[in-house]
Amino acid sequence: MAELLVQQLVNWITLGCIYALLAIGFSLIFGVLNVIHFSHGDVAMTAPFITLALAQALATALGASGPAWLVLAVPVAVLAVGLIGVLLDKVVIRRFRDAPAMMALVATVALGIVIRELIRHLYPQGSNPHAFPRLVSGMAFEISGVAISWFALLVVVLTVALVAMLFVFLRMTPLGLRIRAASEDRVVARMMGIRDARVFRATFFIASAIGAIAGLLFASYAGVTRFDFGVMAGLLGFSAAVIGGLGSMPGAILGGLIIAGIEVLAQTFVPDGASYRLVFVFLLVIAVLIFRPAGLLGRTVMEKV
Amino acid sequence: MLELRDVDTSYGAVPMLRGVAMSVRPGELVCLLGPNGAGKTTTFMTVCGVVRAQRGKVEVMGRDMATLGTENLASLGVGLIPEGRRLFPGLTVMENLRLGYDAVSGRGPNFAVQLDKMCKLFPRIHERLRQVAGTLSGGEQAMVALARALIGEPRLVIMDEPSLGLSPKLIGEYFEITREIHRQGTTILLIEQNAEMGLGIADRGYVLVKGKVAQEGPAKELLSSKAARSLYL
Repeated sequence: MAELLVQQLVNWITLGCIYALLAIGFSLIFGVLNVIHFSHGDVAMTAPFITLALAQALATALGASGPAWLVLAVPVAVLAVGLIGVLLDKVVIRRFRDAPAMMALVATVALGIVIRELIRHLYPQGSNPHAFPRLVSGMAFEISGVAISWFALLVVVLTVALVAMLFVFLRMTPLGLRIRAASEDRVVARMMGIRDARVFRATFFIASAIGAIAGLLFASYAGVTRFDFGVMAGLLGFSAAVIGGLGSMPGAILGGLIIAGIEVLAQTFVPDGASYRLVFVFLLVIAVLIFRPAGLLGRTVMEKV
Repeated sequence: MLELRDVDTSYGAVPMLRGVAMSVRPGELVCLLGPNGAGKTTTFMTVCGVVRAQRGKVEVMGRDMATLGTENLASLGVGLIPEGRRLFPGLTVMENLRLGYDAVSGRGPNFAVQLDKMCKLFPRIHERLRQVAGTLSGGEQAMVALARALIGEPRLVIMDEPSLGLSPKLIGEYFEITREIHRQGTTILLIEQNAEMGLGIADRGYVLVKGKVAQEGPAKELLSSKAARSLYL
């Protein structure tokens, strides 16, 4: 029993960290633009495909096996997805920042479909699942007879490091201060000489790059990636952000941990729980929207879409 | 430093300003008066470039606001205090002041010196520097908003109804500080509803009624003018 509990605890924290990273992107973008970027999950899940394509291309061009090139391909993919996020903002999303929420909703949902279909048609055998390797393999140490993998350790360390870096960036740098100011009052931020475009660029780059890392961890955790994984990643990340409170960073982390906790509990204690886990997750989302629409740690009430 | 020539603006189909013409020359303290709904805040927003003039011309520091974004005003030496103070409520007082300083000075190196000046001018701010601005009292917020506009040493300060919601004692204190800042050489456009106080410290004044300038002239004359009193005072 102790072994099972420790194992589930490890699964919970690993999954919770991945969802938290996804949720942070939703919260960051909503906080600054007041737009729910429903294609954020799809943007995040382009990272495993870019990584696989790049690793394969490098292996073909320079020899050695594909996974060996992951070390190079992963940071390039993260950077590329950050830039994709900036591009999508510039071309599509920014145009809806002052539009009715319904328009932004439709536009970003449509954008997600475009991204998925592009992966499906442009990536070789894009309709099929593609194996995605563990970014690190092997067991790090044991707790109560349960082997803790290097991967689980990587996820936790990476999440803590990214959250800490984001915190320091937002709290202690001039650009971070301007992003926080713009997220509170965009009109007055402009009166203070803050340029919207720079703030949006930085926000989308950070949110998308963190999303890319989450996407890579998501695929690595599952051991596989598929063109439509972005839908699930997006829904789970968005739900985590809603539960924690859209716009709140601590809320995003809390929401991620809560959703992962429900999933793990359902899988462990409910018969055939793996099939029902999402039922429990989304029932909780509905409950939060009914009883606490601003989320557990949110300050603002979400605009109806 | 500031000129509006025959300016019209509207919110959708609702006209707000009609043929407004006014100016603020270097070194002046000009008061724009008017009752509720006269278009005072619309004038502020038009001058800032948040609302675009549909007709006429708005020039701030010699630059045409038709082509200049709101975000460029601060670097031209314009400090702004919008209606309701509008501090960033989740940021600390220090962070609000930092943004005001960076805006005008372009992130110059003398923030500490300027912060010290502001703390001397507004002693209550000093003990609140680390406090989140949203938790300050109305009076303290008014002082921080003024300090935020002044900390970068702007040449022109535009204030939109700064006395709104303040106690009579604080209003007196606030106008005294405004008068002192003007004495030190800062040009000020004070948009106010409190005519006695506003004109009491101003050089010139404009009375805005239903989106039009109904009367203008030296502040003392406006205060004693029967016509101005019948219009608004």
